[in-house]
Amino acid sequence: MIKLKGMTGSIVRCVIPEDLPSADFNSEFGKVMETGGSILNGARIVLDFGARAISEATVTALLSGFVWPSGASVAAWITYDAVSQELLKRAGLRTSEPAPSEGGPCGALVLHRSLRSGQRVEHRGDVIITGHVNDGAEVLASGNITVLGRLNGLLHAGCEGGGEGEDPDTVVVSRCMEALQVRIGSKIGSLGRDAEWWGKRVVASVKDGAVLIEYWPFVKGENAGGVKEETA
Amino acid sequence: MTPRVIVVTSGKGGVGKTTATANIAAALALLGNKVVAVDGDVGLRNLDVIMGLENRIVYTLVDAIEGNCRLNQTLIKDKRVDNLFMIPTAQSKTKDAVTSDQMVSVCSELRKDFDFVLIDSPAGIESGFRNASAGADEALVITTPEVSAVRDADRIIGLLESMEKSPIFLIVNRIRPQMVKKGDMLGVSDVLDILQIGLIGMVPDDENVVKSANEGKPLTLGDGAQAAVAFKNIAARITGKDIPFMNLEVPKKGFFARIKDAFGGGR
Repeated sequence: MIKLKGMTGSIVRCVIPEDLPSADFNSEFGKVMETGGSILNGARIVLDFGARAISEATVTALLSGFVWPSGASVAAWITYDAVSQELLKRAGLRTSEPAPSEGGPCGALVLHRSLRSGQRVEHRGDVIITGHVNDGAEVLASGNITVLGRLNGLLHAGCEGGGEGEDPDTVVVSRCMEALQVRIGSKIGSLGRDAEWWGKRVVASVKDGAVLIEYWPFVKGENAGGVKEETA
Repeated sequence: MTPRVIVVTSGKGGVGKTTATANIAAALALLGNKVVAVDGDVGLRNLDVIMGLENRIVYTLVDAIEGNCRLNQTLIKDKRVDNLFMIPTAQSKTKDAVTSDQMVSVCSELRKDFDFVLIDSPAGIESGFRNASAGADEALVITTPEVSAVRDADRIIGLLESMEKSPIFLIVNRIRPQMVKKGDMLGVSDVLDILQIGLIGMVPDDENVVKSANEGKPLTLGDGAQAAVAFKNIAARITGKDIPFMNLEVPKKGFFARIKDAFGGGR
């Protein structure tokens, strides 16, 4: 069943469950229009498909069958499927969470799931993932990234930074660090399986122009894992 | 019973999709089900060879789709088992010879006559995989305990989930318990921790698999081989039977065997 949820900044989030068969889209969106018609009229909505892939046919069907008739405007199309994200971007559609105020930062994005190979999350703000980030998955956040599961995929924290505007406090936190690369701002840390903190709880940050891995929780000045390879 | 259409897929090539399709299809037929194994790998057909039916091909799946014959004319009956059939694909065509819609209608047609339709998918995530999966309700994902195969399986599972296939079960193929014990190979629990889907079978690395493939006789048509038992167990679990998983742990060696190893005789 499709749910409507209020968000900050007068945005309405329309959550489409991943287990809802796409054949039922017409009838389910019809029900949403019946029950939430007054909320949708004039509202900015985020269409949240989770990890579901979105086809050209789905986009056009939703625009003509739901978005335009309801009087809503789409602030973002959210999917973790990287191929669908490319498709939406090529159509000029926004695929990252909208800020409550135009140009401002978003709140933290909390995902209670694991990301599979080929899935990608982009977010303007902090990201917290309670599951694993598998090898081949990507997370790009303008803020910090925390992974409570095992980290095998690619994280890029502070992805909008670089140069003078880079936030020196941006960090990546992982409870089980098994990634071969981590990116913070304009720096890339290439990591090795033979490192003593492999598989451990770590914090990665940028210190003296390079990505530094430290055990987490850490005492300042102790537990440093060493400065890793850095690429500007 | 409601007919079930299952795609056998993996992402990575060479992990045992075709072997698994042939063996599970034969095992399901031995359990009394009417089964057809469909070669969905247009242009690189292999299922006919593994099942030993290559000399009986007259029409292929692509012939039926192009209207050169009826679908039932492509069916090859396996004479060794009652109720086991195969549909070969074309070797001289490319993946573009079949569309998703055509595969959906082929599967709808086969549902009328069979309890199980097993589709052997090509490797990759492009049109060949998508077409092979289009008509299926369920999926069996095959992986070996290697990092690259597991990553590709993870990708495929994500795609199958977004294609609304359910249930999706995992088969871990070519397990070498000795290597797992030494820490040189991922264990099944490691693979499950990454892929987070239900396990339906663990198949040990068994040289009889290569032998049977070369002979064109699915292992499950014979007895004894460890891999044959594993594939038969998978078929039984598909039909809903609660079969315990095989113990693939390395047996502890006795005193004399350890002495022999110490003097280099155990290699």
